Amino acid sequence: MGYLHDTHMSQYIPPTAFHCVTGTYTDAAGAVAGTIAKHRAAAASTGVINIPIILPSNSSDLKGAYLKSVEVDYECLLAAATSITASMNKVTRGADGAVAVVAAVAVTQDLTAATDAADEDQHKLTVTLTTPVWIDNDAEYLLVITAVCGGTVTLDLLGAVANFTLRL
Amino acid sequence: MGFINDTHMSQYIPPTLFHCVTGTWTLAAGAVAGTIAKHVAAADESSVITIPILLPSNSSTLKGAYLKSIEIDFEILIAACDALAAVVNKVARGADGAVAVVAAQTFTYDSGHDGASERIDVDQHKMTLTLSTPIWLDNDEYVLVEITADKAATTTMDFLGAVANFDLRL
Repeated sequence: MGYLHDTHMSQYIPPTAFHCVTGTYTDAAGAVAGTIAKHRAAAASTGVINIPIILPSNSSDLKGAYLKSVEVDYECLLAAATSITASMNKVTRGADGAVAVVAAVAVTQDLTAATDAADEDQHKLTVTLTTPVWIDNDAEYLLVITAVCGGTVTLDLLGAVANFTLRL
Repeated sequence: MGFINDTHMSQYIPPTLFHCVTGTWTLAAGAVAGTIAKHVAAADESSVITIPILLPSNSSTLKGAYLKSIEIDFEILIAACDALAAVVNKVARGADGAVAVVAAQTFTYDSGHDGASERIDVDQHKMTLTLSTPIWLDNDEYVLVEITADKAATTTMDFLGAVANFDLRL
């Protein structure tokens, strides 16, 4: 029973929840004292950071969390990256004995991948789902950041915030 | 639409989400079978453990989560620490091109940890930090609890988790 429909919900996702592949990543203090980061050391390679969207889901249609956008806070340090590109995957969990099924989710990012998102600076990258989604209990969402890096740039990944409507 | 105002909400934060700097950290079984811990090996050093407070936030005023206190479960093993202290930081996220702004929050330790010597002994600890002024979490901010543990050469520590206590208003 009950009815709740809040369109202003957000959820912080700390960098310790990020899944980082290709490159050397360490927990480190952020550039601003008192903040934390997942730090990527300089390496001319393409780092892939999966951000699990930690939101409640619901097995009823049109209930639970309605994911609208995700904001990612990070810094490119020492040099610009070649590009920072966001994409999103919906992972439909497999039944016992079956693999998961991955489907790309259409998104747009507010900062241009090869310029504004990649320059040596602090970044707040907003990734908006073209069609927001209700999260089913059998699905999970991963925001994928593909960071094409030159040999000098280091990255500090500070965290992310998912924006959603909650209906219960 | 709708209205919920529950003043008894809590959120468990597992040690796997803790951010640990300085020291050799591993995921390990807790001292009690069936529990889990983030374990730091013995070394005479100051380790910094930052706990991200994983609560929902809300862009509307006076809605979402109203953070009141944080409890941290940890164990000091083999030898006492030289010192241990906590800080509660509210981080206002930076806009694109701007740095974040950190503001330390005033809090009190529970009566079992308000003396420096009470925070460092070899024992199981449940340390409660109560905000002097609870805070509504805006969508552009989050809270980090930072623990600095100055360990003796033989001290090891197990961090078992944390629990954030809050009101939920939606």
